[in-house]
Amino acid sequence: MKPITVQKIDLNLIDYIEAFEIQKKIVSDMINGNIEHDTILILEHHPVFTLGKRGGRDNLIVSEEFLKSRDIAIIQTERGGNITYHGPGQVVIYPIVNIEKRRLGVSDFVCSLEKTMIRTASDFGVTAVTDSKNNGVWVKSYSKLGSVGLSIKRGISFHGLALNVNLDLTPFSWINPCGMANVAMTSLENEIKQHIEIKRVKEKLLYHFKEITGI
Amino acid sequence: MKEITELNLPEDIKYSDSHEWAKVDAEIITIGIDDYAQDQLGEVVFVELPEVGAALSKGDQFGTVESVKAVSEIYTPVSGEVVEVNANLPDAPELVNNSPYDEGWIIKIKADDPSLLASELNDLKDKAAYIAMLKG
Repeated sequence: MKPITVQKIDLNLIDYIEAFEIQKKIVSDMINGNIEHDTILILEHHPVFTLGKRGGRDNLIVSEEFLKSRDIAIIQTERGGNITYHGPGQVVIYPIVNIEKRRLGVSDFVCSLEKTMIRTASDFGVTAVTDSKNNGVWVKSYSKLGSVGLSIKRGISFHGLALNVNLDLTPFSWINPCGMANVAMTSLENEIKQHIEIKRVKEKLLYHFKEITGI
Repeated sequence: MKEITELNLPEDIKYSDSHEWAKVDAEIITIGIDDYAQDQLGEVVFVELPEVGAALSKGDQFGTVESVKAVSEIYTPVSGEVVEVNANLPDAPELVNNSPYDEGWIIKIKADDPSLLASELNDLKDKAAYIAMLKG
């Protein structure tokens, strides 16, 4: 079998819906056989709340009118997991990968994404761990640093991971992140109290993802 | 993940390339996901089921299986009408992991065209061919 090539695209700061349409187009091109390579999108989103396939609207603590006044949309998605927030200062990676062809199990792939965030955090002096009950990446006594949510269609994984670097954490206080009450959110900068360049985090995430998965 | 030799793959059912199984009893076909699929998904936390009465063509998506933080589509290996869904799965999705071929079945389909059914079943893999595919 010839090796599967990987295209990496930095979309910079992009609307959630626009990035989602790009993902959908790539997935459908892969299913139709129009493209054979895997793609990694790396980006930040404009402020947005997204719901998992099974919802999470009940975990929105503020009113939708309040969010409207802040010009923040709530978007229903098909990924796993519950409600979450994306915004500038959070690095998102969408690996659009034919995990079936690469013989990667779904649960293993979720773990690889978590491990990618843990190793990246470590590069910036932040010790993060996984939790057996709640996926995602955590520091100290239950502050969440990064999240994972995937969809699998015809063996192709899309959606991905989100690592908090230096975003404004306030919007997380308007929800029960991931559907859990009393969860504190944190970011790399919040942990080390030093400025971190987004560009460096992107490089580290891509490096560790490749080290861990070969992709 | 389990080694291929550790997988529980019964002889009396047929397997699809996308890891669903089909068991035929006259014109009723019971469908679920196989041991390979449940193992690589990890702990199943939710199964999205179709409506009874839904008409499906081979290869159609008929639901999703949500494991921790991932939603995976599942596809029917044969065409027909959904006549029953496993009513235990909403409360006990873990049956898909613990008993993929018995208590963890997902839907039952009634095939209305015997010759189409025969040809669709013929396209599915028996245990030996399925293992060969898994081994690549």
